[in-house]
Amino acid sequence: MSAARGRDAAAFRVADQLAGKEPWEVFGERIRRFEIHLSGDVVEMTRGPIAIEGYDIRVFRPHDDSLGVGRQASNDFSPEGVRATLEDAERAARYASFPAPRFELPSGRGATGGIVEVLDRGLWEYPMDSLENYVATLKAALEGRPGFALSFGSIRATLVETSICNSYGLRTGYGHTQVELEVGVKAFGGPEGPAPGEYWLNDSDRRLRPAELARKADDWCRFADDVRRGSPAPTGEMPVILPSAVLAGILPTVAGGRLTGSARLHGIAVAPGTKVASEMVTVHDDGRLPWAPMSSPVDDEGVPQRKRVLIDHGLMSEVLYDSLHAGAFATNSTGSAFRGVSSGFRTWYRFLQPPGIAPSTIVVSPGDGGSDAELVERAREGVWIQEIGWSSPDPVSGAFGGEIRLGYRIRNGKIADPIRGGTVGGFVFAPPESPSLLNRLQAIGSTSAFVEPVSCPPILVGALPIGGER
Amino acid sequence: MGELSDAEDDLYHAVARLAQRTPFVEVLAEAVSGLSVRYNGRLASYQSPPRVRGAVFRAWTGGGWTEVSVSGLDAETLRFAESAIERTLTHRPARDPPPGVSSTARIDGVTPMTKPIRDLGEEEMLGRARDIHAWVAGAPDIHETEVQVSWRQDDRLYLNSVAARCSQSLCRVRGIVLPVAMENGRAESDRYVCGGVGGREVLDGLRPERARKAAETARALLHAKAPPFGRLNVLLSPSVTGYFAHESFGHGAEADQFVRGRSYLQPLLGTVVGPEILTIVDNGAYSGAWSQIFCDDEGYPAQRTVLVDRGRFTGALHDRATAASLGASPTGNARRSDVFSRSFVRMTNTYVEPGNATFDELVREAGNGVVLESGVGGIEDPQGGQVQVKARMGHLIENGKVTDLVSSMALSGNVLEFLRAIRGISGQQDFELDTGSCGKGRTDLLPNSAGGPYLLSSAVVGQA
Repeated sequence: MSAARGRDAAAFRVADQLAGKEPWEVFGERIRRFEIHLSGDVVEMTRGPIAIEGYDIRVFRPHDDSLGVGRQASNDFSPEGVRATLEDAERAARYASFPAPRFELPSGRGATGGIVEVLDRGLWEYPMDSLENYVATLKAALEGRPGFALSFGSIRATLVETSICNSYGLRTGYGHTQVELEVGVKAFGGPEGPAPGEYWLNDSDRRLRPAELARKADDWCRFADDVRRGSPAPTGEMPVILPSAVLAGILPTVAGGRLTGSARLHGIAVAPGTKVASEMVTVHDDGRLPWAPMSSPVDDEGVPQRKRVLIDHGLMSEVLYDSLHAGAFATNSTGSAFRGVSSGFRTWYRFLQPPGIAPSTIVVSPGDGGSDAELVERAREGVWIQEIGWSSPDPVSGAFGGEIRLGYRIRNGKIADPIRGGTVGGFVFAPPESPSLLNRLQAIGSTSAFVEPVSCPPILVGALPIGGER
Repeated sequence: MGELSDAEDDLYHAVARLAQRTPFVEVLAEAVSGLSVRYNGRLASYQSPPRVRGAVFRAWTGGGWTEVSVSGLDAETLRFAESAIERTLTHRPARDPPPGVSSTARIDGVTPMTKPIRDLGEEEMLGRARDIHAWVAGAPDIHETEVQVSWRQDDRLYLNSVAARCSQSLCRVRGIVLPVAMENGRAESDRYVCGGVGGREVLDGLRPERARKAAETARALLHAKAPPFGRLNVLLSPSVTGYFAHESFGHGAEADQFVRGRSYLQPLLGTVVGPEILTIVDNGAYSGAWSQIFCDDEGYPAQRTVLVDRGRFTGALHDRATAASLGASPTGNARRSDVFSRSFVRMTNTYVEPGNATFDELVREAGNGVVLESGVGGIEDPQGGQVQVKARMGHLIENGKVTDLVSSMALSGNVLEFLRAIRGISGQQDFELDTGSCGKGRTDLLPNSAGGPYLLSSAVVGQA
């Protein structure tokens, strides 16, 4: 968006006041947010505009053998406000220490971020009208389905002009939109009994896509009904299939914990060249995937985003860096500096958060496991996990696991009865004798699905422990 | 409260003008300050809460609530918010007042501190972190230990059109020790946290022996056995008991879930759901606890609400809307993460009250099973009545004795079945409250605390 590169962009207004304080960086945002909240299918509250404009100043001060990095965020654009913010950052830099012998921020010369599709123009121009239309379509998609109802919902749209500049000459910016949908769909009673089942969905996107709601509502209702009918999981180690909806809650946190410059600095990174999985596994980190919530032309330091190879045919490949950690290891940033990312999800006002290193969209290359049905046939006897309550991955140990909110027994190579309750878990990286996603991987499906922030096919893991009643 | 006091006149007049167009309007303004330092022996980094101040206006329209938030407390910014609310009220004028009773409270709450923390500067904070780091320096096989020392003061001012005025200044102080052990590519960590509402005295509560114990545990986890899986006797440690209380009866008793017809607990109000030894409480007025508040963000005083009284489900948590809808009274549980986020019914400090057993008695009673220790988190299922709680580690119970260390695991179960299976709760000597945070859905994180003593029941567990 041209607006984010204009003279009035948040970062540029501050940058003009930082002459003589080099090296520095300013990250700015002008945010408008609109929300509609539903209780049942009744509008409970509309919110907006939620108007926030702010900036974050980072300064970098060399000490004897380290770099003092200080930062502070503010929404006060007055000369006094900028001065006070800068003083906070300077004070923090005075006492901070970071082991970067050389350090460089992007200058904006050479490669630029180009165009990445991250802005829904209709939403940008008519935010509340667009949301109201979306809510009407959502309600219509669930009408006329006996036994199903919305139990609650919220749709939140964030419209952001991001601007970044630094004392190396960078002045860049772009506009982007973000949509968050939270919906609970309830399935009522039936011959099995009156207790309702609920499918609780959280989804993020760059655009509103009301035309897809009817199809999605079919899935939500089916899942809600299966939750209602589900019976406890069996107990034992058995083949498990994990689709993208489950891997989305696991892979980004573990990649962020073990495959980054920060992990390397703390001595817990997996070294490039290490065999971490079978040859069938190739994983990319794609910062330019169209419409993906983590995509953008540049990262939050202004380095162009690109596609990075994390695991190449089973071997650990690239480590992700921001500029600061790249400086500590005399290498280059991979364009992986992101603010406000935690467990693979991103806060909607980023200028308040410090930059950290994170993957953008993790893309697992499709394998030769075939369709979902072929994968299930190969598993023979096991479990398809559709949803884990909270997979709670540990970024240090790589352990993950939680309650099975919805799954399916696999019997005789076919999807059978639904499962609800019990636990599934293991490690992502682990020694051969331990239950690990990667070293017990048997097959990768051939068709990918995008579930923010991953794009991947279902995977068949030879054996994972299932804790259940039977 | 200086910055909020400076803006109070403008906020008051904005509310007064808007009150001419709607039967009810309120505003919440917020300013934060503080300092946080991280130190790991080589790296040090500092973080102050941002210099961001803001306000949210909420007004009753013809068909519901409308809200506008702004980042800034200057007259021009507040006027922008006021105009946006005016525009909505023009299209959707309200004639009748909103449901429920509006707060008329006058509250002025300030965190009591025996040792003020605001004057603890960057150098002294780093000194504290270094001292704490030295407690575990040289511990065998510890790859790295990160220490975090922080304080954050959250000032909030609430005004409404029926003359309520509530100001509160809460200072949350916390120290965290995170040792990481590593061997042959396997990494494990433990965590020791001490925090609460107060001043420097909270940091004085950090204990060297607890920090060293966390380091020993991280190292031991490298060789821990895999946990058992299936239905077992489970003995929950205080932090895991807290997560259970929070995820099961805390979220289940948030009355907005009742209004949505989304709580398995609603039809059980007034009935016996557990043994007489079980009492679960949410207490926003718990002095010094991490989630202590003086009032909520609708201007109602914080209070102690008994959710389960000696086994009987007696109470729910309310804001004004749910209280009006269900014929109850607000309980001081309407909370916002910040002025940019909406208000929901939220917990404060939620815990199981102590019983009278000892840890050893509970182990003997269990016979065989597993102790779940060091709670990591959990998730609720208000509709389905299930609960998930994760523990960083545990120990096997074999023949009435605590034996081998096991690695992280999750507990899954039906809450009502879990309650019926409770066989004992330990006493005050084991009671602890943690310092955590909680979201509503995937967003809206705010400070939250949960805890209790040891609790013995049975549930499904498995590796996680």
